[in-house]
Amino acid sequence: MNHRPPYWLAVWAAVSVVLSLIIYASPGRLAQGPDLMPLLPLMAVFIWSTLRPRFMPPFVIFLIGIMQDLLTGGPMGIWALAFLAAIMIMRVRKEDVAVKELGPLWFRFVAVAVIATLVAWSAGSLAIGGPAAIRPMLVEAAASILMFPLIALIFVRKRSARSSFG
Amino acid sequence: MLRSPARRDQDEGIRFSRTLTAALFVAAILLIIFDRPDVRPEGLSQIRAAVVDVAAPALDLAARPLRGLTNIGPYWVRQRELAEENLALRDQLAETRYWRDLALRLRDQIEIYEETLELDVPASQARVGAWTLADPTGPFVRSRIIGAGANRGVADGDPVLNVYGLVGRVVETGQRSSRVLLLTDLNSRVPVLADRSNARAVMVGNNTNFPRLDYVGRDADLQEGDRIVTSGDDGVLPRGLPIGVAALDRDGRWRIRLFSDQAAVDFVWVFPHDRIAPPEADPVLPEDENSSELPSEEAIAAESDAPEGVDAGAVE
Repeated sequence: MNHRPPYWLAVWAAVSVVLSLIIYASPGRLAQGPDLMPLLPLMAVFIWSTLRPRFMPPFVIFLIGIMQDLLTGGPMGIWALAFLAAIMIMRVRKEDVAVKELGPLWFRFVAVAVIATLVAWSAGSLAIGGPAAIRPMLVEAAASILMFPLIALIFVRKRSARSSFG
Repeated sequence: MLRSPARRDQDEGIRFSRTLTAALFVAAILLIIFDRPDVRPEGLSQIRAAVVDVAAPALDLAARPLRGLTNIGPYWVRQRELAEENLALRDQLAETRYWRDLALRLRDQIEIYEETLELDVPASQARVGAWTLADPTGPFVRSRIIGAGANRGVADGDPVLNVYGLVGRVVETGQRSSRVLLLTDLNSRVPVLADRSNARAVMVGNNTNFPRLDYVGRDADLQEGDRIVTSGDDGVLPRGLPIGVAALDRDGRWRIRLFSDQAAVDFVWVFPHDRIAPPEADPVLPEDENSSELPSEEAIAAESDAPEGVDAGAVE
């Protein structure tokens, strides 16, 4: 009986997604130093679609991708396609959905980040009519992969506090 | 309502409609095809501006603590250098005061000349200050979102400057926010000239920090270190906005080291600017007493063998 009502979890999911989009778009480059903003929205989409798939139906993933496109100023559809492709490809095997520990979660996220980056780069290159700059995208993907455990721990711990997972 | 473990297990293995998923893939691909910068319909542009407008307050809120952090970081990191920097700035200030006085004197002189010559020069003193709300580092488009829109007189095409020089121009205007296309973006084309020699070229963004100069001409009088400013030849940007200095890259091609790169693009000014309208292809002559001295339109048409549109092409 120690489970909190799921709507709190739904609110937390929505808040984390909105925060991830806003922080991703925020002027981080104003600070001095290298620009290492991870793909926070992809992390949020991946974590919630793994921990609580019900919160992340394809339509929501699509909308989050569209929001990222709009905030980054690129043609709409690039990140929507990348998020959908990455999450759907990694969702194919049903038994994998039960992954709840950080190690396997991280391993799966590496694949998700690589697929999303490749799809986004290809779609973006087609949209702008020439090869897009690959280096910033690789840096972004690497930053996402390296920072993933820090972000994921917040969610995994939160979840393990109220359920048997984690 | 609390959920039983069985229900949770069911939740983990949830399956979504394949038809809907496929439809979303198709929708994403269609959007990519129709929302490209060169073919984007007006309706999509308006939707984009409206969405950013709605997000602007949240973006502003998120950017505020970051602005504070921007100041804190260098303060602790460069504590030792601050005193030296202060001295250097005082020197610069003294020098700048001299230039400011000179500029004011020259402005007075120019105003007198303009009055004497009865020139109708539009005043370009008005500027709109705005904070950068979002600086997403998208690999496909280099743009910023700023917190000023149509409600403060900003319009598409307006130049955007920071304290050092031109940053870009407004491409999407919402009510409270606008998107600025940076000079470094692939779609950025700005006609420029070298201050020293008036040598003209077009600055082309290439998604690097150093835009290149195209259409330089074979014997153009261009030297490394030349100050590059807007030429205003396109009628979109006014003439004389500072851009950067010319530099040769390893391959011997001309690049520009941007002035605006010296500072992070945080606070910017938008200069609302009346574009120069191209002359009419077929101007209507005023009907006054002088018009009788001019040849009639029929006479012009009869004398001219040139097909229609040639004159229009010549004036453009």
